[in-house]
Amino acid sequence: MFAYYLQLGLRSLRRNPVLTALMVLGIALGIAASMTSLTVFHMMGSDPIPWKSSKLHYVQMDNWDPNQPYGDDGSPPDQITYRDAVALMQAGKADKQTAMFKLALPIQPANPQVKPFMALGRVASADFFGMFEPPFRYGGPWGRDQDAAHARVLVLTSDTNEKLFGGQDSVGKTVRMDGVDYSVVGVLDKWKPRFKFYDLTNGALSAADEFFMPFTTAIDLRQRASGNNSCWKFPGEGWDAYLQSDCVWIQMWVQLDSPARLAEYKSFLDSYVNEQKRLGRFPRPLDNRLPNVTQWMQAQRVVPRDVEVQTWLGFAFLTVCLVNTIGLLLAKFMRKSGEIGLRRALGASRSEVFRQFLIESGVVGLSGGLVGLLLTGLGLIAVRALYADYKNVAQLDWTMVLTTLVLAIVAALLAGLYPTWRACRVQPASQLKTQ
Amino acid sequence: MLAMKHLQKVYRTHLIETHALRDFSIHVREGEFVAVTGPSGSGKTTFLNIAGLLEEFTGGEYKLDGVDVGGMNDAERSRLRNEKIGFIFQGFNLIPDLNLFDNVDVPLRYRGFNAAERKRRIEESLGRVGLASRMKHYPSELSGGQQQRVAIARALAGSPRLLLADEPTGNLDSLMARGVMELMEEINRQGTTIVMVTHDPELAVRAQRNVHVMDGQVTDLGEEPRLRVPASPEPMPA
Amino acid sequence: MEIRPILSALMRSKVALVLIGLQIALTLAIVCNALFIIGQRLERMQRPSGMNEVDTFAVTSSGFGEGFDVRSTMEADVTLLRSLPGVAAATAINSLPLSNGGWSSGLVLKPDQRTPLASAAFYFVDAGALDALGLKLVAGRNFKPEEIGYRTMNDNVTPAGVIVTRALAEKLFPGQGAVGRQFYIDDPRTTPPTTVVGVVDRLQEPWVDSKEIEYSVLRPQHLPYGNSSTYLVRAEPGRRDEVMKQVEDKLAAANPSRIVRGLKSVESVRAEAYAADRAMALILGAVIVALLTITALGIVGMASFWVTQRTKQIGTRRALGATQFDILRYFLTENFLITTLGLLVGAVLTYAFNVWLMTHYESPRLPWHYVPVGFLCLWALGQIAVLGPATRASRVPPAVATRSV
Repeated sequence: MFAYYLQLGLRSLRRNPVLTALMVLGIALGIAASMTSLTVFHMMGSDPIPWKSSKLHYVQMDNWDPNQPYGDDGSPPDQITYRDAVALMQAGKADKQTAMFKLALPIQPANPQVKPFMALGRVASADFFGMFEPPFRYGGPWGRDQDAAHARVLVLTSDTNEKLFGGQDSVGKTVRMDGVDYSVVGVLDKWKPRFKFYDLTNGALSAADEFFMPFTTAIDLRQRASGNNSCWKFPGEGWDAYLQSDCVWIQMWVQLDSPARLAEYKSFLDSYVNEQKRLGRFPRPLDNRLPNVTQWMQAQRVVPRDVEVQTWLGFAFLTVCLVNTIGLLLAKFMRKSGEIGLRRALGASRSEVFRQFLIESGVVGLSGGLVGLLLTGLGLIAVRALYADYKNVAQLDWTMVLTTLVLAIVAALLAGLYPTWRACRVQPASQLKTQ
Repeated sequence: MLAMKHLQKVYRTHLIETHALRDFSIHVREGEFVAVTGPSGSGKTTFLNIAGLLEEFTGGEYKLDGVDVGGMNDAERSRLRNEKIGFIFQGFNLIPDLNLFDNVDVPLRYRGFNAAERKRRIEESLGRVGLASRMKHYPSELSGGQQQRVAIARALAGSPRLLLADEPTGNLDSLMARGVMELMEEINRQGTTIVMVTHDPELAVRAQRNVHVMDGQVTDLGEEPRLRVPASPEPMPA
Repeated sequence: MEIRPILSALMRSKVALVLIGLQIALTLAIVCNALFIIGQRLERMQRPSGMNEVDTFAVTSSGFGEGFDVRSTMEADVTLLRSLPGVAAATAINSLPLSNGGWSSGLVLKPDQRTPLASAAFYFVDAGALDALGLKLVAGRNFKPEEIGYRTMNDNVTPAGVIVTRALAEKLFPGQGAVGRQFYIDDPRTTPPTTVVGVVDRLQEPWVDSKEIEYSVLRPQHLPYGNSSTYLVRAEPGRRDEVMKQVEDKLAAANPSRIVRGLKSVESVRAEAYAADRAMALILGAVIVALLTITALGIVGMASFWVTQRTKQIGTRRALGATQFDILRYFLTENFLITTLGLLVGAVLTYAFNVWLMTHYESPRLPWHYVPVGFLCLWALGQIAVLGPATRASRVPPAVATRSV
């Protein structure tokens, strides 16, 4: 019977091509608008590392100006000072921990054919790799011992390795950056997090990192972060004063493998800050925070307001399209009340009429979904053209393709419910007499 | 009241010409109750449509209440229809979304009467058909006979000179049909000219005169009219 | 004329009323708020930066290696740039308006003042800056070449005099004339105050999202960042692209141990700064167009359906004396009534939507005139959309009344 109703539905849709096109286009436009915005929303807003996002915690401590909070809402700074980062690293109370900052350095390739170029990289601790789990193609991360030794080592990303060494295994080779030689210990495989969830202070959609360098080594070489730096009082003259100052420019992540460990770390942090308070630092009330990955994403508003508004708007638009479809389906079904009466007179039960027309609605929904999918693709191309930095997040994945089709069919079935119910109420043969 | 001379009506499609009326002549006098009978496809309905100015004719002459309607434009015909003619349809043709009051109100609105005048006429005409108490009801809440009474009230509300009825009892059972017929006779007695199209001979005999139509022509003009209430003397056609 | 009976007939077929009314209501709410957002974005994008954006471009030099000396390079580069054919003016500068990156700090008038009076952006420039940026001096004087110093990590000098924007001058010294007055631009506890030597008409901060975007301070200092330095060049009118083409090679040739990068016109910097606003405006515009189209098509579809359903009724009305115009007017009036009911609901929705945007997205209040203008537009849209079906209805022949189907 399903096949028969499907055939009837298709035939009925073909008979009224303008009305059908209108309905399909209506659903398709609604679906495309909502799915384009939802895709961007989903790609930016969903958990980038679901298997361990609850174990990774960002460290926030409030060392700010007693007269003025850091955030407008009173929140503590989104980075910490160098001296606190070093203290926490040395205490080593977490299961894994890394201090880090963003660094731009000129690379002077050995190959004379490659011009020197500026590379944006990340200064981090050995644990970074175990915490965020980038895949390695050659070699591996440096160890904690190399952190301690301020070793001049590098991990390259695959793109940089491609540029410098033609994609060959470069472990053990030397890279010269700003007049200093570093030896390569590892090369990453393609690592494409949708956004830079491990550095939300310098733009989640900023360009991908090109190299990784030990934190201790970069400090040794007096490299200043090229990311955000904020001071609430004059740091004093010179590099050493800067390191001892209350300027915040370091990001710190810790891995805590259980809620108990989290609680332990929280109390460790509190006692650390209280101790610092006795030394005259941290003039504001105690406000240590350890948000996990998704909480930190919320706090840093990774999903821009515009994208949220667009998503709401997309669904409001879909609602209008559905109301529109209800009207058109109603018009279409009621025009066929003669046929319905005849079918009922010939023995079709009410539920069979119901099924027939619901299947017809489903066919409209599926067609709308397929056209909508196409339009969603076009919509995402437009989004990528409009927002240069959205190229990784304005992408359809299989979940979204499936969601699109399901949403379209569900939407059309919902829209078809009322018209179908009306169609069912047509009395058998009520229309026969006057025909 | 109604005079057609050598009236022709030809329907043309690109393939065939159908002569619905050929050389159709009839004269209905003020105050008459005429039944037009004939088999299906004889041209009864075409006659009624032309008589009611619902359709144009293709040849001949038609005078309604002394006015030559040939060459009138659509708006003029609508106006004339509204002022001079009341319609009673086989299917009642009440507007289902309007209550009785508003249904009777429809032609009066187009006439342009003021609200008080309309209200007076609606109440009076619904009273005449015995439905004054149900003005706020909707057509679906009434029986067929009652619906047709409303339709008659609607036709009468504008005080038309001529009432055109198209199988007025066709959709009614015999009891209701009798009631409607009696109402129409009563209306005729009060001076309104009635032309009724029907294929039912039993109904037709209750009219004063029977005109038989066959193949688009009048075949029998019926007996000479007996005027019950001569309202205003009208010259006989030559 | 016949509003009451049309209205009571509509109330009998509520589904149609609800379907079209709801569409109209949502359309009004979305269109008004979307237009309001677009308006805000366009307004934002039209704010002048205060500088000459047409003829200017920026370029950055990043030196590397032991032998690189950033100070001598900066001086040589500025001299080189100024000597290039087609260059009208050039300056070393740490950041640009519209670039969304730079240095800002709170300003106070007295050393013991706890909360800053204003937060302002610092532009570290030389004496050629006013000319290169194309700024208009409205009071005081420009910097003298001998006043230009350096600011580095080991050399935290506060300049004796600075130039501020008119907006900042008015904020710091309301109605008093700022030139010659003193305030603190660095830590007031450890550094001396500075004196206003000049006031420029207008210069935006680098951050387009800044609340007080016209609070800028020009400091007569070079600010190399590590071994990097940035320059702003103003070309002679019409020669920008020609100058841009040669500047990279000229700078690279002058000193090989560096990377010359970030060559971009200020126009492209502006485009980048407002790309998100532009995108938002375009997306909302597309949504509005699609929404109006869908709603109009919906009205056409529903009205056509009603006309088909009510053919007999139309014929009857014609038989009872309605002219073609009466029928046309009936459908136009009916549409007007449905639209109006939808719009009344829509007005409530519009304000609800706006309040929601205000609570969650810091949106300002919707100016009152959006809703009445929206009413007029949707009335017009409804009437135009229904015109086709209504005309078709008016052509229904009166003889339909006597047809048995």
